[in-house]
Amino acid sequence: MHELRIVEDLMTIVRKVAEEKGLKKVTKVNISMGKLVQIVPSLLEAAFNEAVAGSVAEGASIEIETVAVQLRCRICGKTFTPDANGFECPVCRISDIDVLNGNELFIKSIEGE
Amino acid sequence: MTMEITIMRNILDRNQDKAREVRELLVSKNIMMINLISSPGAGKTTLLERTLETITGRFRAAVIEGDVTTDRDARRLQRFDIPITLINTEGGCHLDSHSISRALDSFNLDELDVIFVENVGNLVCPSHFDLGETFKIAVVSTTEGDDKPAKYPMIFREAKAAILNKIDLIPYTNFSPANFMSDLRSLNSLLPLFEISCTRGDGLEEWRKWLEEQIAGRVRT
Ligand SMILES: Nc1nc2c(ncn2[C@@H]2O[C@H](COP(=O)(O)OP(=O)(O)OP(=O)(O)O)[C@@H](O)[C@H]2O)c(=O)[nH]1
Ligand SMILES: [Mg+2]
Ligand SMILES: [Zn+2]
Repeated sequence: MHELRIVEDLMTIVRKVAEEKGLKKVTKVNISMGKLVQIVPSLLEAAFNEAVAGSVAEGASIEIETVAVQLRCRICGKTFTPDANGFECPVCRISDIDVLNGNELFIKSIEGE
Repeated sequence: MTMEITIMRNILDRNQDKAREVRELLVSKNIMMINLISSPGAGKTTLLERTLETITGRFRAAVIEGDVTTDRDARRLQRFDIPITLINTEGGCHLDSHSISRALDSFNLDELDVIFVENVGNLVCPSHFDLGETFKIAVVSTTEGDDKPAKYPMIFREAKAAILNKIDLIPYTNFSPANFMSDLRSLNSLLPLFEISCTRGDGLEEWRKWLEEQIAGRVRT
């Protein structure tokens, strides 16, 4: 559901940048998405394919790069990736962490002419 | 000629910017805003009823009710005689900071200490949309199964506290408190958890006490 809203906001940025840069046509949109972000890539893609119709990005493709999760223990400072133990620090065996990577949802670039 | 234009911007910037504005406004008015997030039917409105029953005597409260299409939840709270604003999302699965900002316009912010926001029933979408709240509370109920923390880690990471509701129904379900706890603790070991029954009353005292401490301890920064 929220894929629609995210695509709306994405298209607002795409249209604005395309206009600023004088692009007549946007052929590709590159975005980055953290593994913790609960968005279904295929739904996002489907919503994107509908949203571009009739816009400067008509027919454009979207490439979704996923970013692995990286956490940092607030107690001992170790950085680690989560495994079967959830977000538990492998050293302290307790989960009190900051998410360093994995929460991102950003537009990297657009391609066009 | 094809060219690539680098942008590197958060897609949800528009929501984030407004959320920042809301947060600044609330800080300037010394108001705490609490965003309640759960699956449909976990008990957000019932929890609000149980909470408002005691809290309205001590703090000046208001409610923003997020509802997909109806005003049923807002009507359930009318007996409290506090300001209530309804936001119908018209099918949308979450509230956003722009709708919250408009809702705040309908309150007299000089006469409030705390605003409760009942988000639309959904564990996924609301966790992506910052409303400008002071903190989020994750509400889950025993009838949803014990796997919610494992399946929806984001909200249990971001919440300031979690509530496990409907513990009166544990005997009738396959809910395993041990599994729930171990999944929750492996995501967030220090998260305060209140195990409650809104119908029977278990755990409500602890919850209210914690909440009142939060509201009383809010500071003008
Ligand atoms: N047995 C039992 N039932 C409860 C408890 N808390 C709430 N309920 C019932 O659960 C149902 C749903 O509660 P609501 O408070 O409407 O849930 P909600 O999260 O506000 O639901 P939505 O706004 O539709 O997402 C109602 O029939 C409540 O009476 C509880 O602690 N025990
Ligand atoms: Mg409700
Ligand atoms: Zn550690």
